[in-house]
Amino acid sequence: MGRILLVRRLATRDLRHRPAQAVLLLLVITAAMATLTLGLILHGVTSKPYGQTRAATAGPDVVASSVGFPSSKETSASAPGRFATLDHAPGVTAHSGPYPVAWPVVRAHGITAEVMAEGRDEAPALVDQPKVIQGTWVRRGGVVMERAFADAVGVHVGDHIALGDQRFRVTGIAVTAAVPVYSQVCFYGGCSGPGGQPRSFDTGLVWLTQAAARGLATPGDPLTYYLNLRLRDPAAAPAFVSEHQPPPGSGPPPVTAWQSLRDAAATLVAQEQHVLVPASWLLGLLAVASVAVVAGGRMTEQEKRVGLLKAAGGTPPLAAAVLLAEHLVVALVAAGAGLAAGWLAAPLLTSPGASLVGSPGPPSLTWSTVLLVAAAAVAAAAASTLVPALRAARVSTVAALAGAAHPPRRRAALIKLSAWLPVPLLLGLRLIARRPRRVLLSAASLAVTATTIVAVLIYHATLSQHFARSGPFSGAPDPGNGRVSEVLLVITVVMAILAAANAIFTTWATVLDTRRFWAIARSLGATPQQTIAGLSAAQLLPALAGALIGIPAGTALYTAVQNGGPQGSPPAWSLLAMVLGMLLAVAGLTAIPARIGARRPVAEILQSETA
Amino acid sequence: MQQEVVLAMLAKEPSHGYQLRARLQQALGPLGDAMNAGQIYVTLARLEKAGLVTAEHSAGLPDRPDRKMYVLTAAGQQRVAGWLTEVSWPRPGLAEFHLKLAATAAARLADPIAIVDAQRRELLRRLRDAQRAAMAEPDRSDAGLLLEGIVLRLQADLRWLEACERNWAGRRSPS
Amino acid sequence: MSDIGSTCMLRARGLRKEFGRDAALVHAVDEVDLDVAAGETVAVMGPSGCGKSTLLHLLGGLDRASGGTLWLHGRRIDQLGEKALARLRRGAIGFVFQAFHLMDELTAVENVELPALLAGRSPRTARRHALGLLDQAGLADRAKFLPSALSGGQRQRAAIARALANDPLVVLADEPTGNLDSAATLEVLRLFESLHVAGQTLIIVTHDSRIAATADRLISMRDGAFVDETRLTGSTTGQLADLAGLEG
Repeated sequence: MGRILLVRRLATRDLRHRPAQAVLLLLVITAAMATLTLGLILHGVTSKPYGQTRAATAGPDVVASSVGFPSSKETSASAPGRFATLDHAPGVTAHSGPYPVAWPVVRAHGITAEVMAEGRDEAPALVDQPKVIQGTWVRRGGVVMERAFADAVGVHVGDHIALGDQRFRVTGIAVTAAVPVYSQVCFYGGCSGPGGQPRSFDTGLVWLTQAAARGLATPGDPLTYYLNLRLRDPAAAPAFVSEHQPPPGSGPPPVTAWQSLRDAAATLVAQEQHVLVPASWLLGLLAVASVAVVAGGRMTEQEKRVGLLKAAGGTPPLAAAVLLAEHLVVALVAAGAGLAAGWLAAPLLTSPGASLVGSPGPPSLTWSTVLLVAAAAVAAAAASTLVPALRAARVSTVAALAGAAHPPRRRAALIKLSAWLPVPLLLGLRLIARRPRRVLLSAASLAVTATTIVAVLIYHATLSQHFARSGPFSGAPDPGNGRVSEVLLVITVVMAILAAANAIFTTWATVLDTRRFWAIARSLGATPQQTIAGLSAAQLLPALAGALIGIPAGTALYTAVQNGGPQGSPPAWSLLAMVLGMLLAVAGLTAIPARIGARRPVAEILQSETA
Repeated sequence: MQQEVVLAMLAKEPSHGYQLRARLQQALGPLGDAMNAGQIYVTLARLEKAGLVTAEHSAGLPDRPDRKMYVLTAAGQQRVAGWLTEVSWPRPGLAEFHLKLAATAAARLADPIAIVDAQRRELLRRLRDAQRAAMAEPDRSDAGLLLEGIVLRLQADLRWLEACERNWAGRRSPS
Repeated sequence: MSDIGSTCMLRARGLRKEFGRDAALVHAVDEVDLDVAAGETVAVMGPSGCGKSTLLHLLGGLDRASGGTLWLHGRRIDQLGEKALARLRRGAIGFVFQAFHLMDELTAVENVELPALLAGRSPRTARRHALGLLDQAGLADRAKFLPSALSGGQRQRAAIARALANDPLVVLADEPTGNLDSAATLEVLRLFESLHVAGQTLIIVTHDSRIAATADRLISMRDGAFVDETRLTGSTTGQLADLAGLEG
C-alpha cells in the first residue's frame, strides 16, 4: 500500500513540475483518440433521417425508371409497355406515375449543372409526395427544387432560374425519399445521357408541372419515365426488385428497392468514416512518436531520480513503475477527453445533409468503443514509455547519479564522414550521431505528417483528374466531397500543429542536451551562426528524410484505403512545395530555440557542466 | 625559545619578564601551555650576556628575573631589523614565523603582509628549484620521489602562508 | 611604442567585469592592467572567488568585458562581435579548462583535430597535425583512445594539444591541474615547460604553487584586482638538502 502511495506521490509531483510536457502529451493523445472515437461511432447513423423522410413523404417501396429503354421521340402520356406490367404486378398495392422526366441544363447564380426534372401533378400523389419545406408545390411557370441541390446552387424561394432555354421561378423547396440524396442522384443508374452516356455525378432534382417537363424534352435529350410503387410487404422490396430486374447486359437496372435508396444516404457518412479510421491511426503514430520523444528527452533527469530512488532503497521495478504511472495517467485522461471530444464533434459529421429531414440523434457511445479507445491510449503511452523506463531501471545507481548513464553514442563512420563536410553539416551530423533514436523519432513524426499531406493531395488530384466535370458544365459543388475535404483539412491542420509542437520540443530537448557540446565547439571557434546552422541541419536532415518517405508512404496509404478505384497523381510542383514547405517550417521552428540556446555565454555553461 | 622573537617583543617598549611571558602565551594560545615556564628567562639571560638587552631593577621590587625590566640595546635593535628581512625557513617550527608576524604587527615594526610575501617568494624559488630538479629526473626514480616529497611539503607551507596573508590582510585597518 | 608593440602579445588596460546591479553589484574584475610579452609564461594566483577565472575568460573572448580595452598582438579585440571573437578563438587563442571538456564520443586525435576542422582545414592536414601534437604531448600511442580510457593527466595533455591545434598566439589555461593528482600535475608541468622552451606565450590561472613557481612572472590577485607581481629571479638562501632533513 505504501508503495502505491509513494508511486502516486512521485508521479503527481513530477507531472506538476513539468506542466508543458504533460500538456503536449495530453493534446497529442487526445487528438488521436478523438479521431478514433469519431471513426468508431459514425456507423449507421443515417437510417433514422431516411425513415423520417419516408414517413413524411409517403415514400415508395420500389421505384422504376425507363432509363435504358430505346428512346422514344413521343411526348405522349402513354407509358412504355414495361411499366404497365409493373404497376399491376403481384404485391403492389398502390402506385404513382409514371411521371415524365426531362434532362435540361440549369443555369443559376453562375452555376451550370445537369438536372433531373420530374413532371408532377399539382394534386398530391398517393405514393411519393415530396414534402415542401418552404414555399409551395408545383404550379404553372414555377419549379420546386430539392433542398440539398438548392443549397448547393445557392437558390432560394422567389429566385429565377433557367432550365434549358426557359425561365422559371422557384416556388418551393422540398425533400423526397424516392430519389437518392443529392450528389448520389445517379448512384443507381437512374440517369442516362444522350446515347446511353452516364450523366455527371452532381445531377440535381427539381419538380415542375407535367406540361412543363414535356416542354423541356429535346430530340437529343428525350423524356424518360419514373414510376413509384408501394408493396404490401415493404420488407420484401429487394425480392421484388430481383424478380423484376431486366436481364443482365441490357443496361442499368431500372428497378430499385427503398433499402438501396436509404443506403445511398449513408454513403456520405461512410465516406467520412472511411477517412477517419486511417487518420486516427496516423495521429496515433504521431502520438506514439511524440510521447517517445518526451519520454526519452527526460531520460537523464529521470535516471538521476531513478538513481536516487534506488539509492534510497527503491527497487528497479518501483522506479519503472513511477515513470510508467505518469504517462499512463496522462493517457487515460486523454482517452476520456478524446471520447468526449469525438462524441461532441460527431453531429457535425453525421448530419445527413439537406436532402433528408430529421436528425440522426446523438451518436451512441457503446462500452466496446470506450474500452477500445482507452486501450489504444494506454497502449500508445506504454509502448513509448516502456523502453526508456526499462532502460533507466536497469542502469547502475552510481552511473545514474553521476548523470553519465547514457553517454552519447559514438558512430565512427559518421564522425569520419562529417570531417569532410562544411562546418554546419559537420556539427549537425555529429549531433545526429550522438542521439540516433531521437533523430529517428523526429523523422518518423514528420514522415507521418508528410504521408497525410500526400494522401490528401492524391485525393484532390483524383477528384480533379477522374471525377472532374468535362465539357461546358461548371457543376455545383458536391456536398459529399465537400465534407470529406473539410474533414481531411481539419485532420491535416491538426497533424501539422502537433508535428510543429513536436519539432519545437525536440529541438528544445536537443538544445538542452547538447549545451556542453556547443559550448566546447564555440570555445574552439564555432561562430554563433555555425551553431544555429548546425542545430538546424541536425533537424533538417531527418525532416528531409521524413518528407521524402512520406511520398511513397502516402501513395501506399491512399491505395490501401481506397481499395481499388481510380487514383490520380498529384502534380510534381505540389509535392515539391510540400517538401520545401516542411523543410522551411522545420528550419523556422527550430531556429527559435536554437537562437535562444546560442545566446548563453560560453563561460557560464562550461563552469556549470562539470564532466 | 628563539632569541630574535624575544628581542622583537621588546622592540615596542621595555617590558618586565612576566609581561613578556604573558604576551607569548597569548600569541601561542593552547600551544603556549606546553612551553616551559622558565625557558624565556634563560633566553633573556643569554641575550643580556650577548649584550642585546639590558636588565634594570625596578625600584621597590625584589631582584628576580620576572620582575626585572628588560630594554633593547642598539645592537639588539639592529639584530631585530636584520631578522625581519631574513627568509630562511625553519624546518619543523611554524611557531617562530607565526610569532614573528604577531610581534611585528604589535610593535609596528613592519607590515606583516610584506613579511609574508617575502617568505612566499623565497618558498616559491625553492619550489621552482625542487620542481626543476624533479623534472630532470627520469620517471619513478628514487631521487625523484624524494624531490616530490619536498615539493609537496613546500606546497603545503605555501598554502599556509596564503592563509597567513589572508588573515593579516583582514586585520588591516581600512586606510 | 612600436618596439613594445612588436613583442607585446597581450595588453589589457582598465579591464572590468561587473555582475549584478545597485546593491548587489559585484566587481569580478576591477581595473586590471596587464602586459604579456611574446614567449612569456605568466601565472595568476589568488584565492577562490578573486576573479581570476573571469579575467581569463575576458582575455580569451569567452565573455564580454564591462569596460576597458584589450589588445592581442597589436589588434584591439574588446569591441569585436561574436563572430569575430569566434574566429579569434579559432586561430589566435587556445583554451585549456580545469574540467578538460573533451568531447566524450571522440577519440583523442579526433578531439585534437576538431579546431582545425572548424577552421576549414582539410581533414588530412588536420589529422596529420593532430597526430604530431599528440606525439609532442607524449600521447602518440593513445591517439585512438576515447577520453574515458585516458587518465586525468592524459586527458589534460590531450586538451592542451587541442588548444595548440591552430598554432595560437597565446594559450590560456584555467586551473589546468585543478582536477589532477601530483603525478598527473608533473606530466602537465613537463608539457608546459616544453611549450615554454618552444616560445609559446602562456597565461595560466592557478592556485597550484607548483605551476606558479615555474612561471616567468607571478601575479597575485585579490577581489578582482592585481595586488602583487613577482619575478622569481635569484637563487634560494638554503639548500634543497636542508628541506629534505639532511644536515648540511
